[in-house]
Amino acid sequence: MTRETDDPIEAELDRALARLPARAAPPALRRRLEALVAPASPPASTADAPGRRERPRRTLFTASFVSACAAAALVLVATRVTRPVPSGAAPSELVTEAVNDHIRVVSSTHPVDIESGGIHQVKPWFTGRLDFAPRVAFSGDADFPLVGGSIGYFRDRKAAVFVFHRRLHTITLLVLPAAGLGWPEKDLTRVGRLSVAEASSRGFSVLLWREGDLGYALVSDVNVRDLETLAGRINGD
Amino acid sequence: MSSAGWSASDALAHADRLYNLGRRLTGNDADAEELVQETYVRALAGARTFGGGNLKAWLFKILRNTFVDLRRRIRAVPAGDNLADVGGDGDAALLRDDLELDRLRRVVGEEIEAALASLSEEARTIVLLDVEGFSETEVADVLGCPVGTVKSRLSRARLALRQKLKDYAR
Repeated sequence: MTRETDDPIEAELDRALARLPARAAPPALRRRLEALVAPASPPASTADAPGRRERPRRTLFTASFVSACAAAALVLVATRVTRPVPSGAAPSELVTEAVNDHIRVVSSTHPVDIESGGIHQVKPWFTGRLDFAPRVAFSGDADFPLVGGSIGYFRDRKAAVFVFHRRLHTITLLVLPAAGLGWPEKDLTRVGRLSVAEASSRGFSVLLWREGDLGYALVSDVNVRDLETLAGRINGD
Repeated sequence: MSSAGWSASDALAHADRLYNLGRRLTGNDADAEELVQETYVRALAGARTFGGGNLKAWLFKILRNTFVDLRRRIRAVPAGDNLADVGGDGDAALLRDDLELDRLRRVVGEEIEAALASLSEEARTIVLLDVEGFSETEVADVLGCPVGTVKSRLSRARLALRQKLKDYAR
Protein backbone atom coordinates (compact mmCIF):
# COMPACT_ATOMS: atom_id res chain seq x y z
CA MET A 1 0.00 0.00 0.00
CA THR A 2 1.26 3.47 -0.69
CA ARG A 3 2.43 5.27 2.38
CA GLU A 4 3.30 8.90 2.57
CA THR A 5 5.36 9.55 5.60
CA ASP A 6 7.68 12.23 6.82
CA ASP A 7 9.19 9.81 9.27
CA PRO A 8 12.70 9.05 7.96
CA ILE A 9 12.85 5.80 9.91
CA GLU A 10 9.62 4.50 8.39
CA ALA A 11 10.89 5.49 4.97
CA GLU A 12 14.19 3.72 5.64
CA LEU A 13 12.29 0.63 6.79
CA ASP A 14 10.46 0.62 3.44
CA ARG A 15 13.80 0.78 1.65
CA ALA A 16 15.16 -2.03 3.83
CA LEU A 17 12.13 -4.20 3.07
CA ALA A 18 12.67 -3.58 -0.62
CA ARG A 19 16.01 -5.36 -0.18
CA LEU A 20 14.30 -8.61 0.83
CA PRO A 21 15.57 -11.37 -1.44
CA ALA A 22 12.91 -12.54 -3.88
CA ARG A 23 12.23 -16.26 -3.99
CA ALA A 24 10.90 -17.59 -7.26
CA ALA A 25 8.80 -20.72 -7.48
CA PRO A 26 11.13 -23.68 -8.13
CA PRO A 27 10.95 -25.09 -11.67
CA ALA A 28 9.49 -28.40 -10.48
CA LEU A 29 6.68 -26.60 -8.68
CA ARG A 30 6.01 -24.43 -11.68
CA ARG A 31 5.75 -27.51 -13.88
CA ARG A 32 3.25 -29.06 -11.48
CA LEU A 33 1.21 -25.87 -11.41
CA GLU A 34 1.24 -25.68 -15.19
CA ALA A 35 -0.07 -29.22 -15.39
CA LEU A 36 -2.69 -28.41 -12.80
CA VAL A 37 -4.13 -25.37 -14.50
CA ALA A 38 -3.63 -26.43 -18.10
CA PRO A 39 -6.92 -26.69 -19.96
CA ALA A 40 -8.08 -30.29 -20.09
CA SER A 41 -7.37 -31.93 -23.39
CA PRO A 42 -10.30 -33.63 -25.09
CA PRO A 43 -10.11 -37.43 -25.32
CA ALA A 44 -8.18 -38.56 -28.39
CA SER A 45 -11.13 -40.54 -29.70
CA THR A 46 -13.27 -37.44 -29.99
CA ALA A 47 -10.52 -34.97 -30.76
CA ASP A 48 -9.56 -36.95 -33.80
CA ALA A 49 -13.10 -37.35 -35.05
CA PRO A 50 -13.62 -36.29 -38.66
CA GLY A 51 -15.13 -32.88 -39.13
CA ARG A 52 -14.30 -31.83 -35.63
CA ARG A 53 -13.24 -28.21 -35.48
CA GLU A 54 -10.29 -27.26 -33.35
CA ARG A 55 -11.38 -25.66 -30.14
CA PRO A 56 -10.08 -22.20 -29.36
CA ARG A 57 -7.68 -22.07 -26.43
CA ARG A 58 -9.93 -21.97 -23.43
CA THR A 59 -9.29 -19.85 -20.41
CA LEU A 60 -8.58 -21.30 -17.02
CA PHE A 61 -11.91 -20.04 -15.75
CA THR A 62 -13.99 -21.06 -18.70
CA ALA A 63 -12.26 -24.36 -19.26
CA SER A 64 -10.45 -26.10 -16.46
CA PHE A 65 -12.15 -24.22 -13.67
CA VAL A 66 -15.62 -24.46 -15.06
CA SER A 67 -15.24 -28.04 -16.11
CA ALA A 68 -13.79 -28.92 -12.73
CA CYS A 69 -16.53 -27.11 -10.91
CA ALA A 70 -19.23 -28.39 -13.18
CA ALA A 71 -17.95 -31.86 -12.58
CA ALA A 72 -17.77 -31.20 -8.86
CA ALA A 73 -21.30 -29.82 -8.92
CA LEU A 74 -22.47 -32.90 -10.76
CA VAL A 75 -20.96 -35.09 -8.13
CA LEU A 76 -22.51 -32.96 -5.41
CA VAL A 77 -25.90 -33.33 -6.99
CA ALA A 78 -25.26 -37.00 -7.42
CA THR A 79 -24.85 -37.43 -3.71
CA ARG A 80 -28.59 -36.96 -3.52
CA VAL A 81 -29.80 -38.28 -6.85
CA THR A 82 -28.55 -41.48 -8.41
CA ARG A 83 -27.44 -40.80 -11.92
CA PRO A 84 -28.69 -43.26 -14.52
CA VAL A 85 -25.31 -43.44 -16.21
CA PRO A 86 -24.65 -46.63 -18.14
CA SER A 87 -21.93 -48.90 -16.86
CA GLY A 88 -19.04 -50.21 -18.88
CA ALA A 89 -17.08 -46.99 -18.65
CA ALA A 90 -13.68 -46.96 -20.27
CA PRO A 91 -10.58 -46.65 -18.03
CA SER A 92 -10.09 -43.00 -19.06
CA GLU A 93 -13.63 -42.26 -17.93
CA LEU A 94 -12.92 -43.89 -14.58
CA VAL A 95 -9.92 -41.60 -14.20
CA THR A 96 -12.04 -38.55 -15.01
CA GLU A 97 -14.72 -39.66 -12.59
CA ALA A 98 -12.19 -40.28 -9.83
CA VAL A 99 -10.64 -36.84 -10.30
CA ASN A 100 -14.08 -35.22 -10.24
CA ASP A 101 -14.86 -36.95 -6.98
CA HIS A 102 -11.54 -35.83 -5.55
CA ILE A 103 -12.26 -32.23 -6.53
CA ARG A 104 -15.59 -32.49 -4.75
CA VAL A 105 -13.78 -33.60 -1.61
CA VAL A 106 -11.17 -30.84 -1.85
CA SER A 107 -13.72 -28.11 -2.50
CA SER A 108 -16.21 -29.25 0.13
CA THR A 109 -16.37 -27.42 3.43
CA HIS A 110 -17.38 -30.76 4.97
CA PRO A 111 -15.38 -33.34 3.03
CA VAL A 112 -16.20 -36.14 5.45
CA ASP A 113 -19.42 -37.18 7.19
CA ILE A 114 -17.66 -39.27 9.78
CA GLU A 115 -14.46 -37.91 11.22
CA SER A 116 -11.79 -40.39 11.93
CA GLY A 117 -11.16 -41.92 15.27
CA GLY A 118 -9.40 -44.64 13.32
CA ILE A 119 -10.56 -47.07 10.68
CA HIS A 120 -12.50 -49.05 13.29
CA GLN A 121 -14.79 -46.08 13.72
CA VAL A 122 -14.98 -45.14 10.06
CA LYS A 123 -15.66 -48.56 8.54
CA PRO A 124 -18.64 -49.44 10.75
CA TRP A 125 -20.17 -46.09 9.86
CA PHE A 126 -20.69 -47.37 6.32
CA THR A 127 -22.79 -50.30 7.54
CA GLY A 128 -26.36 -49.78 6.43
CA ARG A 129 -25.32 -46.98 4.13
CA LEU A 130 -23.76 -49.20 1.50
CA ASP A 131 -24.72 -52.57 0.08
CA PHE A 132 -21.13 -53.73 0.25
CA ALA A 133 -18.39 -53.70 2.86
CA PRO A 134 -15.33 -51.65 1.84
CA ARG A 135 -12.15 -53.57 2.51
CA VAL A 136 -9.49 -51.16 3.75
CA ALA A 137 -6.74 -52.62 5.87
CA PHE A 138 -5.17 -49.32 6.88
CA SER A 139 -6.05 -47.15 9.84
CA GLY A 140 -3.91 -44.20 8.85
CA ASP A 141 -0.56 -43.33 10.35
CA ALA A 142 1.76 -40.36 10.72
CA ASP A 143 2.57 -40.42 7.01
CA PHE A 144 -1.03 -40.73 5.86
CA PRO A 145 -3.44 -39.74 8.61
CA LEU A 146 -7.02 -40.83 8.02
CA VAL A 147 -9.33 -37.82 8.12
CA GLY A 148 -12.63 -39.65 7.83
CA GLY A 149 -15.18 -41.01 5.42
CA SER A 150 -18.36 -40.24 3.54
CA ILE A 151 -20.70 -41.69 0.94
CA GLY A 152 -20.12 -40.67 -2.65
CA TYR A 153 -21.28 -41.71 -6.05
CA PHE A 154 -19.06 -43.12 -8.73
CA ARG A 155 -20.93 -43.08 -12.00
CA ASP A 156 -24.03 -45.21 -11.35
CA ARG A 157 -23.21 -46.60 -7.94
CA LYS A 158 -22.49 -45.67 -4.37
CA ALA A 159 -18.91 -45.52 -3.23
CA ALA A 160 -17.21 -45.44 0.13
CA VAL A 161 -15.06 -42.33 0.26
CA PHE A 162 -12.06 -42.29 2.57
CA VAL A 163 -10.04 -39.12 2.97
CA PHE A 164 -6.39 -39.21 3.94
CA HIS A 165 -3.80 -36.50 4.21
CA ARG A 166 -0.23 -36.47 3.08
CA ARG A 167 1.36 -33.45 4.72
CA LEU A 168 -0.67 -30.58 3.25
CA HIS A 169 -2.28 -32.66 0.53
CA THR A 170 -5.65 -34.34 0.50
CA ILE A 171 -5.90 -37.89 -0.84
CA THR A 172 -9.24 -39.40 -1.76
CA LEU A 173 -9.81 -43.15 -1.77
CA LEU A 174 -12.95 -44.43 -3.45
CA VAL A 175 -14.04 -48.02 -2.87
CA LEU A 176 -16.94 -49.30 -4.95
CA PRO A 177 -18.40 -52.45 -6.51
CA ALA A 178 -16.20 -53.18 -9.51
CA ALA A 179 -18.64 -55.05 -11.74
CA GLY A 180 -19.60 -53.50 -15.04
CA LEU A 181 -16.88 -50.87 -15.16
CA GLY A 182 -13.96 -50.95 -17.54
CA TRP A 183 -11.10 -51.44 -15.14
CA PRO A 184 -7.70 -51.18 -16.81
CA GLU A 185 -6.11 -54.50 -17.65
CA LYS A 186 -3.04 -53.38 -19.57
CA ASP A 187 0.12 -51.51 -18.62
CA LEU A 188 -0.37 -52.24 -14.95
CA THR A 189 2.27 -51.47 -12.35
CA ARG A 190 3.12 -53.88 -9.59
CA VAL A 191 2.72 -52.33 -6.13
CA GLY A 192 3.30 -55.00 -3.51
CA ARG A 193 0.63 -57.62 -4.17
CA LEU A 194 -1.43 -55.20 -6.24
CA SER A 195 -1.48 -54.54 -9.95
CA VAL A 196 -2.48 -50.91 -10.37
CA ALA A 197 -3.10 -48.65 -13.32
CA GLU A 198 -1.42 -45.30 -12.97
CA ALA A 199 -2.74 -42.22 -14.74
CA SER A 200 -2.70 -38.47 -14.42
CA SER A 201 -5.42 -36.01 -15.25
CA ARG A 202 -5.51 -32.25 -14.80
CA GLY A 203 -2.48 -32.37 -12.54
CA PHE A 204 -3.79 -35.12 -10.30
CA SER A 205 -2.30 -38.58 -9.98
CA VAL A 206 -4.74 -41.48 -10.08
CA LEU A 207 -4.25 -45.13 -9.15
CA LEU A 208 -6.93 -47.63 -10.12
CA TRP A 209 -7.03 -51.27 -9.17
CA ARG A 210 -9.46 -54.08 -8.70
CA GLU A 211 -9.39 -56.49 -5.81
CA GLY A 212 -12.00 -59.20 -5.94
CA ASP A 213 -15.44 -57.71 -6.38
CA LEU A 214 -14.34 -54.24 -5.34
CA GLY A 215 -12.66 -51.49 -7.30
CA TYR A 216 -10.39 -48.85 -5.82
CA ALA A 217 -9.47 -45.36 -7.00
CA LEU A 218 -6.85 -43.30 -5.22
CA VAL A 219 -6.51 -39.66 -6.27
CA SER A 220 -4.40 -36.72 -5.17
CA ASP A 221 -1.94 -34.09 -6.29
CA VAL A 222 0.84 -35.84 -4.38
CA ASN A 223 3.42 -37.68 -6.44
CA VAL A 224 2.58 -41.12 -7.68
CA ARG A 225 5.17 -42.79 -5.44
CA ASP A 226 3.30 -41.56 -2.36
CA LEU A 227 0.08 -42.94 -3.79
CA GLU A 228 1.76 -46.29 -4.42
CA THR A 229 2.93 -46.36 -0.82
CA LEU A 230 -0.57 -45.62 0.42
CA ALA A 231 -2.11 -48.19 -1.94
CA GLY A 232 0.18 -50.82 -0.50
CA ARG A 233 -0.83 -49.93 3.04
CA ILE A 234 -4.52 -49.93 2.13
CA ASN A 235 -4.03 -53.45 0.79
CA GLY A 236 -2.27 -54.51 3.99
CA ASP A 237 1.16 -54.95 2.41
CA MET B 1 -8.93 -14.41 -22.00
CA SER B 2 -12.69 -14.24 -21.69
CA SER B 3 -14.56 -11.29 -20.34
CA ALA B 4 -15.74 -13.43 -17.46
CA GLY B 5 -12.50 -14.99 -16.41
CA TRP B 6 -8.79 -15.29 -16.76
CA SER B 7 -6.34 -17.57 -18.36
CA ALA B 8 -3.99 -20.17 -16.98
CA SER B 9 -1.12 -17.83 -17.73
CA ASP B 10 -2.83 -15.12 -15.67
CA ALA B 11 -2.95 -17.44 -12.68
CA LEU B 12 0.59 -18.74 -13.18
CA ALA B 13 1.91 -15.18 -13.40
CA HIS B 14 1.43 -14.95 -9.64
CA ALA B 15 3.17 -18.22 -8.79
CA ASP B 16 6.46 -16.60 -7.85
CA ARG B 17 4.81 -14.04 -5.59
CA LEU B 18 2.67 -16.70 -3.96
CA TYR B 19 5.69 -18.89 -3.42
CA ASN B 20 7.58 -15.95 -1.98
CA LEU B 21 4.88 -15.37 0.63
CA GLY B 22 4.41 -19.10 1.19
CA ARG B 23 8.11 -19.54 1.79
CA ARG B 24 8.14 -16.81 4.40
CA LEU B 25 5.00 -18.07 6.10
CA THR B 26 6.07 -21.70 6.33
CA GLY B 27 9.78 -21.14 6.80
CA ASN B 28 10.93 -23.88 4.44
CA ASP B 29 10.92 -24.77 0.76
CA ALA B 30 9.01 -28.06 0.91
CA ASP B 31 6.07 -26.71 2.86
CA ALA B 32 5.99 -23.59 0.72
CA GLU B 33 5.73 -25.72 -2.42
CA GLU B 34 2.91 -27.74 -0.93
CA LEU B 35 1.13 -24.62 0.24
CA VAL B 36 1.27 -23.01 -3.20
CA GLN B 37 0.20 -26.20 -4.93
CA GLU B 38 -2.72 -26.60 -2.55
CA THR B 39 -3.60 -22.96 -3.18
CA TYR B 40 -3.97 -23.65 -6.89
CA VAL B 41 -5.95 -26.81 -6.24
CA ARG B 42 -8.37 -24.83 -4.10
CA ALA B 43 -8.50 -22.07 -6.69
CA LEU B 44 -9.47 -24.64 -9.29
CA ALA B 45 -12.13 -26.10 -7.06
CA GLY B 46 -13.50 -22.73 -5.95
CA ALA B 47 -13.37 -20.82 -9.21
CA ARG B 48 -16.99 -19.82 -8.89
CA THR B 49 -16.17 -17.75 -5.83
CA PHE B 50 -13.98 -15.48 -7.94
CA GLY B 51 -16.19 -12.55 -8.71
CA GLY B 52 -13.85 -10.89 -11.15
CA GLY B 53 -11.55 -8.05 -10.25
CA ASN B 54 -8.23 -8.59 -8.56
CA LEU B 55 -7.03 -12.11 -9.35
CA LYS B 56 -3.78 -11.60 -7.45
CA ALA B 57 -5.57 -10.59 -4.25
CA TRP B 58 -7.98 -13.52 -4.64
CA LEU B 59 -5.12 -16.01 -4.97
CA PHE B 60 -3.29 -14.48 -2.03
CA LYS B 61 -6.46 -14.76 0.03
CA ILE B 62 -6.72 -18.45 -0.84
CA LEU B 63 -3.08 -18.98 0.08
CA ARG B 64 -3.54 -17.20 3.36
CA ASN B 65 -6.69 -19.19 4.20
CA THR B 66 -5.04 -22.42 3.14
CA PHE B 67 -2.12 -21.68 5.41
CA VAL B 68 -4.41 -20.90 8.34
CA ASP B 69 -6.44 -24.06 7.72
CA LEU B 70 -3.44 -26.28 7.40
CA ARG B 71 -0.77 -24.80 9.60
CA ARG B 72 -1.33 -27.39 12.27
CA ARG B 73 0.02 -29.91 9.81
CA ILE B 74 2.90 -27.73 8.70
CA ARG B 75 6.14 -28.72 10.30
CA ALA B 76 8.04 -26.28 12.41
CA VAL B 77 6.25 -23.07 11.66
CA PRO B 78 8.18 -20.40 13.50
CA ALA B 79 5.87 -19.32 16.27
CA GLY B 80 7.41 -15.90 16.53
CA ASP B 81 6.27 -13.33 18.97
CA ASN B 82 2.73 -12.37 19.68
CA LEU B 83 1.80 -9.19 17.90
CA ALA B 84 -0.10 -8.11 20.97
CA ASP B 85 3.13 -8.08 22.93
CA VAL B 86 4.61 -5.34 20.85
CA GLY B 87 5.04 -2.15 22.76
CA GLY B 88 3.20 1.06 22.07
CA ASP B 89 4.21 4.63 21.38
CA GLY B 90 6.73 4.69 24.17
CA ASP B 91 8.80 2.04 22.44
CA ALA B 92 8.41 3.83 19.15
CA ALA B 93 9.75 6.97 20.65
CA LEU B 94 12.78 5.14 21.97
CA LEU B 95 13.53 3.88 18.49
CA ARG B 96 13.37 7.25 16.79
CA ASP B 97 16.99 8.06 16.81
CA ASP B 98 19.83 8.41 14.41
CA LEU B 99 21.32 5.14 15.53
CA GLU B 100 18.28 3.22 14.33
CA LEU B 101 18.28 5.08 11.07
CA ASP B 102 21.90 4.20 10.54
CA ARG B 103 21.27 0.54 11.35
CA LEU B 104 18.36 0.35 8.96
CA ARG B 105 20.52 1.74 6.18
CA ARG B 106 23.14 -0.95 6.76
CA VAL B 107 20.87 -3.93 7.27
CA VAL B 108 21.00 -6.45 4.42
CA GLY B 109 18.25 -8.54 2.86
CA GLU B 110 19.08 -11.74 4.72
CA GLU B 111 18.97 -9.91 8.03
CA ILE B 112 15.58 -8.43 7.25
CA GLU B 113 14.40 -11.86 6.28
CA ALA B 114 15.61 -13.29 9.57
CA ALA B 115 13.94 -10.50 11.51
CA LEU B 116 10.70 -11.06 9.63
CA ALA B 117 10.85 -14.78 10.34
CA SER B 118 11.01 -14.06 14.06
CA LEU B 119 7.77 -12.08 13.98
CA SER B 120 4.40 -13.64 14.63
CA GLU B 121 2.69 -15.16 11.61
CA GLU B 122 0.10 -12.40 11.73
CA ALA B 123 2.67 -9.62 11.82
CA ARG B 124 4.79 -11.25 9.13
CA THR B 125 1.82 -11.69 6.83
CA ILE B 126 0.63 -8.12 7.05
CA VAL B 127 4.10 -6.70 6.50
CA LEU B 128 4.62 -8.93 3.47
CA LEU B 129 1.24 -8.08 1.98
CA ASP B 130 2.15 -4.43 2.41
CA VAL B 131 5.46 -5.05 0.66
CA GLU B 132 3.53 -6.77 -2.14
CA GLY B 133 1.86 -3.45 -2.80
CA PHE B 134 -1.68 -4.38 -1.80
CA SER B 135 -3.94 -1.54 -0.73
CA GLU B 136 -5.33 -1.47 2.78
CA THR B 137 -8.68 -2.54 1.39
CA GLU B 138 -7.10 -5.49 -0.41
CA VAL B 139 -5.15 -6.52 2.68
CA ALA B 140 -8.37 -6.33 4.68
CA ASP B 141 -10.00 -8.63 2.15
CA VAL B 142 -7.12 -11.10 2.19
CA LEU B 143 -7.04 -11.21 5.98
CA GLY B 144 -10.79 -10.97 6.47
CA CYS B 145 -10.71 -8.01 8.82
CA PRO B 146 -11.77 -4.34 8.74
CA VAL B 147 -9.55 -1.75 7.09
CA GLY B 148 -9.07 0.01 10.41
CA THR B 149 -7.71 -3.20 11.88
CA VAL B 150 -5.26 -3.47 8.99
CA LYS B 151 -3.90 -0.03 9.77
CA SER B 152 -3.38 -0.72 13.43
CA ARG B 153 -1.96 -4.19 12.87
CA LEU B 154 0.42 -2.98 10.21
CA SER B 155 1.62 -0.17 12.42
CA ARG B 156 2.31 -2.59 15.27
CA ALA B 157 3.90 -5.14 12.97
CA ARG B 158 6.30 -2.57 11.50
CA LEU B 159 7.19 -1.42 14.99
CA ALA B 160 7.85 -5.02 15.98
CA LEU B 161 10.06 -5.44 12.93
CA ARG B 162 12.03 -2.32 13.82
CA GLN B 163 12.57 -3.71 17.29
CA LYS B 164 13.82 -6.99 15.85
CA LEU B 165 16.12 -5.16 13.49
CA LYS B 166 17.80 -3.50 16.43
CA ASP B 167 19.65 -6.79 16.85
CA TYR B 168 21.07 -6.64 13.36
CA ALA B 169 23.56 -4.46 11.56
CA ARG B 170 25.40 -3.57 14.71
